[in-house]
Amino acid sequence: MAAATKLYKKSLGFFAQIQQYRSNANYTAGASIRTRNELFNEEQRRQREAVGRIDKIEVRYLGLPEDVTLVMNSHISTPYNCAQHLSEGHCQRAVLALLDGSVPWDVHRPLQESCTLQLLNFNVSEPHVVNKAFWRTCSFMLGAALQRVFKEEAKLQLHSFPSPNIKSGSFVHDIVLGAQNWQPTKAEMRAISAEMVKLAAQDLRIERLEVDQELAKEMFKESHYKSEQLPSIAQQNQSRVTLYRLGEHIDISRGPMVASTRFLGKCTVSTAHKLTDEGPSNAFYRIQGVALPSGFMLNHFAYGLLEQRSQKLNSARLPNEPFEDQRQMQLS
Amino acid sequence: MNQAEVSKLISQLRITMRPNKRHLKNSEGPEGRLLKLRKTVTALVKHERIELFYNRADEARGYAELLISNAIRYGDRHKATMELADYWLLEKQLVHKLFKVLVPRYENFSSSYTRMLKAPRDYPGIYYKKSVLEFRGNPFPALVPDYTQNRNLLHNVLLDEARKEFRREQLAKMANKFAAETAAPPALATQENDAGN
Amino acid sequence: MNVNARVLSNRLAQQCSLKRIVTFSTKPTQQAAAVAVPQQKDAANSAPVRKPIVPAHYRFVYPEFLPDPKVEWRNTVREKLERLDMLDRRRQIELPEFYVGSILAVTSSDPHAAGKISRFVGICIHRERCGLRARFILRNVIDHQGIEVVYELYDPTIQKVEVLRLEKRVDDSLFYLRDALPEFSTFDEQMEPETLEEGTPVPINDIKVVLRPRPWLERWERQNLLGVANIDQYIKDKHRKSAEKVQKPWEKYDMMKHYRATIPEEEQKEIFAEVHTELHTLELQRKRNKRKRSFVKPKQLA
Repeated sequence: MAAATKLYKKSLGFFAQIQQYRSNANYTAGASIRTRNELFNEEQRRQREAVGRIDKIEVRYLGLPEDVTLVMNSHISTPYNCAQHLSEGHCQRAVLALLDGSVPWDVHRPLQESCTLQLLNFNVSEPHVVNKAFWRTCSFMLGAALQRVFKEEAKLQLHSFPSPNIKSGSFVHDIVLGAQNWQPTKAEMRAISAEMVKLAAQDLRIERLEVDQELAKEMFKESHYKSEQLPSIAQQNQSRVTLYRLGEHIDISRGPMVASTRFLGKCTVSTAHKLTDEGPSNAFYRIQGVALPSGFMLNHFAYGLLEQRSQKLNSARLPNEPFEDQRQMQLS
Repeated sequence: MNQAEVSKLISQLRITMRPNKRHLKNSEGPEGRLLKLRKTVTALVKHERIELFYNRADEARGYAELLISNAIRYGDRHKATMELADYWLLEKQLVHKLFKVLVPRYENFSSSYTRMLKAPRDYPGIYYKKSVLEFRGNPFPALVPDYTQNRNLLHNVLLDEARKEFRREQLAKMANKFAAETAAPPALATQENDAGN
Repeated sequence: MNVNARVLSNRLAQQCSLKRIVTFSTKPTQQAAAVAVPQQKDAANSAPVRKPIVPAHYRFVYPEFLPDPKVEWRNTVREKLERLDMLDRRRQIELPEFYVGSILAVTSSDPHAAGKISRFVGICIHRERCGLRARFILRNVIDHQGIEVVYELYDPTIQKVEVLRLEKRVDDSLFYLRDALPEFSTFDEQMEPETLEEGTPVPINDIKVVLRPRPWLERWERQNLLGVANIDQYIKDKHRKSAEKVQKPWEKYDMMKHYRATIPEEEQKEIFAEVHTELHTLELQRKRNKRKRSFVKPKQLA
């Protein structure tokens, strides 16, 4: 409970800060990101306050060192809080939670009702769920890295990222740039990779928030492509939209994602493929990369093979294909 | 530049060894040091997995390895080896275990006979590093999970797919080559026809 | 002894198969026999395959080819280069097999006396160091004066090394000859070389030398010498007690101490496999030369 109050205070402080910015808001990209964050914080605070009377739930933890039952707070306690009751090692290693043996659950997402809980990491015997979450997080982080790397003159707009497919050998983020014949150099790709590594080093917590369609529309009103996608996404999920935040970067994704950027180990953003022209001066690009979770050792020759393979154009659905088909990939 | 001793022939250790011994602080001097190590080696042979301070474990490990390699090399009819086993194993029934259990187990080993792992130290407690020393092939559950066999780990999935794609490419290349070879003669024939016309 | 990897001569193979049975004696006899039989077969099968066979006694004959076991001083490249240099030297000059206790005659030139050579006959009382720095000490008594000369085995000023009597003593070094009566280290300079029959093992001379009364150069009573007859005659109880105090009976069991003082078997095999062929051809050449020299054509008389 103490932790929750602390967070609340923190967010209040941040909120006050944002309020100041708002008074002299202009319509640059930075300002739109600030507004988006402010709305995110406000909604997060509102949801926390809406919990009202605190119900207790019983969480049955299965795993090492022994199976225990924890009494937690409904809609407040997260799997991370459960791990805090176990040990520091559990907190550091928990990548993803598995509820009732089947439902993957973000580590920082509040639990709703009594359930069994397993904490997963990358080394469990059946790591499909975790791997998928990791691949999705990589795409998401790539978006954040691109946002940080490109200057405003590049007119970068994030489009979307298709559902994670590890077997394709690369994670993907589709973007629109204000240049129709951008040939990325090695140094440029390396700069993006370095940004990914920086993100990983910052150990940023990845937050999840479910919001109404209207709020999401307001948050993404500056982003042409996102607001285009929103209605169909909301339609799938009873007019609710799931948002993820990493630092200041917010994106739409169905989740789940890993707990923190810390879990990204070796990472290479290998290529940018031009897909099609968009309008008179813009063009679609598909940025691809390959990554391994932290703690996975792979010799540089084998990793070189993976890097080579990740340079081939990923066959996931293209962003300029009909929107009805695309909905599914966005909802991954 | 001293001459190596040649009177004894010893098998190579399969573990990394420190160039110098540790003295293992002891008022009895070198003899007391050996007594300490004898106790450790005896306990290791008896229990097959022991937890103790790192320094002592690292020192005792070399002795345990050499004791087994000597037992394998000379067998139980060799007087000197028997004396050695008698000295190092304080509980005499363990001499039987050495020759009847450990020797058959390790006869065809190509790796070291013991394994040493770092162990967490107690907090708060003595600040010495701790470790676990164990015989390979002991009957206890493994201390370290084996990740090499799991094909579903992320890097294994990626590598498997890369290999499959490489094979597919190779097959396609071969098929193309074959197709080109079979298609070539008719192409030549048409050229000739053209020339004839 | 690892039989599988090596091809062995008939006699050696027999010995080893015996040893094998000994090794397996903890198992039921049938099983032991079953294990022993296929190994003999293996030996028989692998016989036609030619592999360099390094005789087991090489480490005694050429101890200087083994490097210093001190880990900090090891340098495989330097060791290899040194071995090549040693072989080069051995191609120039015959350096025969000898041990502590053998009687040698060394002919060498002196850098301070140009054009002159000297020949020194004496008993080898010590061998030390390895590689190109290998050296030995010869001792003799000349004109009632004990003389010792230190020779480096690969010294280029050495012109000839002859072994006059090839034998071993019971101790590793014979420094106690310095305190022994002079007749035990007196050897005739005109001594003829004694020939050993081929294939016979090197004889061990278990002569007990007689020491002079104290004072001595070293405390011989503390060194557990086997080749000394009369130590007890000269020492008192206090010496005996102090000698007992400095004994280290546990060192016999300190396996890691021995390990740190030796080169392990696998490494020895590698080293000798590298130099074996060369050394073997040199040995054969030497034998041929010896035979040529010993054969004297009978002169026609009258």
